[in-house]
Amino acid sequence: MSTLHAAFATPDDARRALRILGADGVPASAIEVRSSVPLEHDLHAIGDKVTSKVHWMAVLGAFLGGFALFSLVKFTSEAYPLPTGGMPIVSLPPAGVITFEGVAIGAILCTVGTVLYECGLPGRKSLGPLDQHLAEDHILVSVECEEGAPEAWAANALETERV
Amino acid sequence: MAGIAQVAKEQPIIAPLIGFRPKLFLGSLLTGLLVGVLFYSWGYQIVNDIGVAGINRPVFWGFYITNFVFWIGISHAGTLISAILRVTQAEWRRPVTRCAEAITAFALMIGGLFPLIHLGRPWLAWYMVPIPTGRGIWPNFRSPLMWDIMAITTYLLGSLLYLFLPLVPDMAILRDRAAKENPRSIKTLFFTALALGWRGTPQQWHSLEAGIRAMAVIIIPVAVSVHTIVSWDFAMAVAPMWHSTIFGPYFVVGAIYSGIAVLMVAMYLLRRGLHLEEYLSDKVFNNLGLLFVAFALMWGYFTFAEHLTVWYGHEHAEINVFNERISGDFSVFFWTMIVVNTIIPLAILPFPWGRKPLATAVVGIGVMLGMWIERYLIVVGTLSFPRLDFNVGTYSASWVEMGILIGSIGLFGFLYFTFVQIAPIVSLWEVREGEHIQHRRTQPTSQSMPVQAVSAGEEARA
Repeated sequence: MSTLHAAFATPDDARRALRILGADGVPASAIEVRSSVPLEHDLHAIGDKVTSKVHWMAVLGAFLGGFALFSLVKFTSEAYPLPTGGMPIVSLPPAGVITFEGVAIGAILCTVGTVLYECGLPGRKSLGPLDQHLAEDHILVSVECEEGAPEAWAANALETERV
Repeated sequence: MAGIAQVAKEQPIIAPLIGFRPKLFLGSLLTGLLVGVLFYSWGYQIVNDIGVAGINRPVFWGFYITNFVFWIGISHAGTLISAILRVTQAEWRRPVTRCAEAITAFALMIGGLFPLIHLGRPWLAWYMVPIPTGRGIWPNFRSPLMWDIMAITTYLLGSLLYLFLPLVPDMAILRDRAAKENPRSIKTLFFTALALGWRGTPQQWHSLEAGIRAMAVIIIPVAVSVHTIVSWDFAMAVAPMWHSTIFGPYFVVGAIYSGIAVLMVAMYLLRRGLHLEEYLSDKVFNNLGLLFVAFALMWGYFTFAEHLTVWYGHEHAEINVFNERISGDFSVFFWTMIVVNTIIPLAILPFPWGRKPLATAVVGIGVMLGMWIERYLIVVGTLSFPRLDFNVGTYSASWVEMGILIGSIGLFGFLYFTFVQIAPIVSLWEVREGEHIQHRRTQPTSQSMPVQAVSAGEEARA
């Protein structure tokens, strides 16, 4: 098995190649599409659905962050109680301000953490042979295939390389 | 052969990152000298103690707190504006977001320095960190100063991450570009490190875009909370002309107003200096100019409302401060502020010629000055005339405080010049994405169908 990399000038060229691959029955798991801009709306790999849990994780982070900072305010107020003249030791308005910031910081950290996790960053995968094409706004399609497999899909490519 | 995006057009953005630019070097050098002034003045204060500053009874908050509020206000330029434009999917935002977000990050860093400078003994700042001291005392979260710490820390962290996340794909573009020329150069290694191994797969793009959208939604209330909390540093006290219910929104509006002013000036300088006319176009200035007018009107309205209620109420201590602003010692400052913050902007910006780059930059410089004066009037104007008449006093800034103010402006410039030389100041991938969207709109609908929709091999080959 080897990987055939092909660089296409436009999304239309890449789309054409993917259609041919789909028609030839190449499984989605064998195809990787890469670009320097988000093209997922008009350039899906065959059967390859991308999903993200970022929004749910942001909500979870908000809950955790809010709970953590409210707990901190409550614990510290009770650990060293100041004279409050009969007012509650844990004052809710200031606790609300701090809790709000906790909600935000929790949501931010969980969002960024989830993005990095889902993107596999930081990653150590070495650069591909045609990656310089990404800098020029080209689209890369890489297909794992047998030696001698049909390469008609790459006919419109600017450059191809088998690794 | 380039893709949809006209890659050659990106040269002005990339040029400062790959080659020596005398203008940028000179800018870094000059602002670097001012940074030297900042640290010399601060060092002098640390060695000789806080007495070398002009602050004294009853004006315990002088230039340092004025500068703190001013810089925190400026920080609202970027992340907030960028987030609002992203949430509303304003297409013209694409070239603006990065230079705006960088302003936020650097202004917040500088704003955060001032409480440390004001502290006199900055090594005691750790008392504000929620860890118990030897006597088991915790920070008092009832204090608005603790709210400040929490809000500014959250906003700084959020803004840095909000700046960094969209930067990763751009770093990958630069990495691939640099690797083509010299895979072992320092620049290649630098871009490789910051690209974090980004590959540009559909999953990565999907997650990144979801993350940026979520961050945009989260960061808007955080930005509003930051300057509201800064306003509460004042409004929670019963000092004359501070104890006001509208201080929160008044400060937020003023912050965004001053932020837009700095953004206008920065964009004008970038456009001129780096020849970014293609990106920071007249249309961008026109649209931001309209936002500028809206905030000029809102700021004028809040200022009028704030002063009218004080005048009408005629409460003894408040009217003293009011009279000093209108016709007393502070009147020169007050009327200068009114002229540069409302009269000049409203005389220029409503007209199409007034929303051209140079005109908006000139108005922006005036508004920056006016907003600094506003903070000075709030801080020093009130503290000079406290409720207890016998305690009236004056304040004049020492050379140390002046040096630190000038140095902070230099530090901002230095950080910005440095940033322009290590990261694309216009987001490459976002601009490219805009061009792809534009291209897709001009194509027949069948071209934008997902690949799954095509079933027959013959049809595909055709």
